[in-house]
Amino acid sequence: MRVPVSWLRDFVDVPVDARALAETLAMRGFETASVDDRPAPPAPPWGPGAAGAGDAVIDFEITANRPDCFSILGLAREVATTWRLPLRTPGAAPGLERQPLGVGESDVVGVTIEDPDLCPRYAAAVADVTIGPSPAWLAARLEAAGVRPISNIVDITNYVLMEIGHPTHAFDLDRLGGHALRIRRAKPGETITTLDGVQRTLEPEMLVIADAARAQAVAGVMGGAVSEVSSSSRRVVFESAYFTPTSVRRTSKRLGLMTEASARFERGSDIAAPLVALERIAALLERLGAGRVVGPVVDRYPAPRGPVTIHLRRERLASLLGVRVDDEDVVRIFRGLGLDIVPAADGWSVTVPTFRVDLVREADLIEEVGRHYGYDRLPPIFPAPASPPAAPDPRVARDGQVRRVLLAAGLSEAFTYSFIEQRAHEAFGLADEAEVVAIANPLSGKFEVMRRSLLPGLTDALAHNRHHQRRDVRLFEVGACFSASAGEVRKAGIAWTGAASDDHWSGTRREVDFFDVKGLVERLGEVLGVPLAVEPAAAPMLVPARAARIVVANPPFAWPALGLLGQLLPAVAEARGLPAADAVYVAEIDLDGVWAVRQALDRAAGTTAEAVAPLPRFPSVVRDVSVLVAAGLPASEVRGTILANRPGGLVDVAFFDRYQGKGIPEDRVSLSLRLTFRAPDRTLTDAEVQRAMDEIVALLAREHGAVQR
Amino acid sequence: MLDADAIERLRAEFLALLNGATTDRDLQGVRDRYLARKGGVIAGLMKEVATAAPADRPRLGQLANRLKTEIEEQLAGRRDALAAGRPVAGAVDVTLPGRVPPLGRRHPLTRVRDRMETIFTRLGFTIVEGPEAEDEFHCFDALNMPASHPARDMQDTLYLASGMRGEAWTPTGPRTHEAQAADIRTLLRTHTSSMQVRYMQTHEPPVRIVVPGRVYRRDNPDLTHSPMFHQMEGLLVGEGISLANLKGTLLAFAREMFAPSSRLRFRPSFFPYTEPSAEVDISCWACDGAGCQQCKGTGWLEILGCGMVHPAVFEAVGYDPEKYTGFAWGMGIERVAILRHGVDDIRLFFENDLRFLEQFPV
Ligand SMILES: [Zn+2]
Repeated sequence: MRVPVSWLRDFVDVPVDARALAETLAMRGFETASVDDRPAPPAPPWGPGAAGAGDAVIDFEITANRPDCFSILGLAREVATTWRLPLRTPGAAPGLERQPLGVGESDVVGVTIEDPDLCPRYAAAVADVTIGPSPAWLAARLEAAGVRPISNIVDITNYVLMEIGHPTHAFDLDRLGGHALRIRRAKPGETITTLDGVQRTLEPEMLVIADAARAQAVAGVMGGAVSEVSSSSRRVVFESAYFTPTSVRRTSKRLGLMTEASARFERGSDIAAPLVALERIAALLERLGAGRVVGPVVDRYPAPRGPVTIHLRRERLASLLGVRVDDEDVVRIFRGLGLDIVPAADGWSVTVPTFRVDLVREADLIEEVGRHYGYDRLPPIFPAPASPPAAPDPRVARDGQVRRVLLAAGLSEAFTYSFIEQRAHEAFGLADEAEVVAIANPLSGKFEVMRRSLLPGLTDALAHNRHHQRRDVRLFEVGACFSASAGEVRKAGIAWTGAASDDHWSGTRREVDFFDVKGLVERLGEVLGVPLAVEPAAAPMLVPARAARIVVANPPFAWPALGLLGQLLPAVAEARGLPAADAVYVAEIDLDGVWAVRQALDRAAGTTAEAVAPLPRFPSVVRDVSVLVAAGLPASEVRGTILANRPGGLVDVAFFDRYQGKGIPEDRVSLSLRLTFRAPDRTLTDAEVQRAMDEIVALLAREHGAVQR
Repeated sequence: MLDADAIERLRAEFLALLNGATTDRDLQGVRDRYLARKGGVIAGLMKEVATAAPADRPRLGQLANRLKTEIEEQLAGRRDALAAGRPVAGAVDVTLPGRVPPLGRRHPLTRVRDRMETIFTRLGFTIVEGPEAEDEFHCFDALNMPASHPARDMQDTLYLASGMRGEAWTPTGPRTHEAQAADIRTLLRTHTSSMQVRYMQTHEPPVRIVVPGRVYRRDNPDLTHSPMFHQMEGLLVGEGISLANLKGTLLAFAREMFAPSSRLRFRPSFFPYTEPSAEVDISCWACDGAGCQQCKGTGWLEILGCGMVHPAVFEAVGYDPEKYTGFAWGMGIERVAILRHGVDDIRLFFENDLRFLEQFPV
């Protein structure tokens, strides 16, 4: 809302310069986009509002709840309240004249409201006019306010619009078929060419102003070209109405047409303003010598609405603001804002005029007092807690722990977009339409579907860094993934390419491999309190035989896979902009799933889960053994076989070597195991340990055809 | 004939020889030449002193002894200097880089969020999180924004093409599959305020929570806009909670988060779910309010929106607005990170360029 300060002076004697005015009103809720100085405009006939060499235009940002301040008058009211100054209202001062108009039936124009829900009030006045240019002072004011002057009649309606905030419209009466104004819904398929020259197709949801034959204006949005006031117009009918905000908003949105009028009607105009606006128009016609109103105003207002009265309690005011405001201040503020206030039980009874559509309950009134009392005068008081704080969301600590582990492993944290292109899902084999959650109104193809996985985004982040001369990139992200069947699930994703560790002068470089990423998965399982294992599995995005799924190790209950890991297919990496020659290892874990397992395990274990075991009292014996087994046999099966039988005194099985090559048959692999034996009640003898070793070798021979080396 | 000059010549000769000694061997040679018991220069000098005229003897003896001491000291110093410059078996070059354990970088948005969480936890707030996929009730209707409300225009929303099952979590833990399936989400939350509603629906007052999280708007990415960003919502509900309490809470936060001298400025504003509402500016920490480039000369930086919870919100969640009052605020995490670190392009936060990420302290 562009406000020339000189125009404001019609209503109130602004006591400060434009910048001070802007700063002060900002603290009353009216932010300023700009303050522009301009030369003194041509003075209006009733004399310059203030002596001075120049003027300024302040561009205020009006919040959606204050349509009354989409006007010079509305802001003048705020100025008057702020500086405790008298406000000159329309009809009460030079330059603000209202020409009293009688209300009755017109013998020239017929006005019918056919849909009073969408148009609760419609007033019209006929005038004989002489079209011409506006005087310089009026044109200058409109221009300063950002409105282009057109002709005296159109300019008068715009002047009143800016001045008191009420939109009106002038029709060329002689272009209205049957001299009729029918306020009705559009007919299906009905069209209108609006003032901007665009032909628009209307819908029955939309309200129009029609003559006997067709739509002549889109109600509250824009007039039609046919009945537009032109240089040949002799008689016009001025419309001054109240349209239902939701209807105007819907129509404006559907047509993609936002106007000065629609902006005001959709936020809520003053239902008492139509007659005032016509009386201002009549006075301006006279002042400009542009014509005169003939006959009475036709005022269709089937269900008149009055002001609303709200009870304001003194105690409530004090307790919500946290400060006691003097009664005189309360009364002064409301009177200044144009509200009636009288004492009532334990407070006041406040009557809200129809132009303040935002004031509907007590809290709204308290804001008005706070606003003009000044938020800066409220003391800052830290509120004492009334109870101990509630337990935090366990995900916060969990995710923090995951972050710390991965950071300490040398991975940096990425934040990637939650929406990705479906093509990325396709590359990763995640494009299943039944699972993908698409965005109905995406901004672009790049952000069209919700990610099912963190890995496409992380891979793109690797590619970005690779394109900026970083060959070694280790990233992770903790974030939500979305799918139709699982809903919103928090996951941790890892993507790693290049060196396994930071380069150092002392060592040789090793490239990342499967076991680097697997190690991270195992470490995460450890810190999250869920032993995780991986088992071979295929995934469309992963290199076969370097792919695995993450499962709960030795689960006491059935549980679905909790994620996957492996080497990204070179074709997938390439599709996302990485060189196919770079090995990229990825992993993804469902953190919510892991957490659910953890809780189930805790429930199963009871409270003893964290109890400390006594330290062993007798020494353990360690023996190594190497066996040849089939090359395709997973090491975990060998270990599983031993642990399942657990011959006397065995407490641990570890692998310390896996060898294939010279001296080993081609389809075989040599596994070296380190076995630890211990008894709780005595030191084991060599003979006992040897017996157990023999048993294990025999067991492996039987189960896996293993041969001791 | 022995005299002081002769002793001084011996001294000069010694120093020249010492300077030429660059190895232990050289040094041993010099030592032998001067200090050998038999045939050494000093031994010879002492004999000469003993045979000098009795009147000169004490003075010459003194000079000779002084020269002997000096030679011993110089030789020892030279020996130490040579030893220092020589590699010792098993020596390390301590100036080579150490083997630093790998350490990744926290994302700058996580750093800011962690700091805020620490402060608010200390102020007695509980951290909770909420779902990013939401329904219209929690995101709008319950926040006093019915379908017809013009405020829904203020934030252009991204909608899901098909309803999605709710998240697997509630504020108190995992939920059943049945409950999850009955709960259908249709949009991406435009603010973390939706979690106010979820939390109040499931908890009785008093409430003191902060809700960090990801939010979405239908904005094309540019220098200052992103279709995805992060907020931290705060909500405090109790009996007798006032706007003055809101000021006290935010001031305590600001002084720890930004600068101990921070001041706040509350400007009246409008949000559908608070009444009264305010925008809050913080005094610029770069210039302490004097005006500088960061604050564009105003001395203030806009930092968050807040207000007293609208009674209609309490009604929507089943709290008695007569008994309880409270306040809420919403703060942009990117906004704080941008101000703190002078980031000039919001898109940098989502490019994950290590050259950017590695600039932030661990
Ligand atoms: Zn500054």
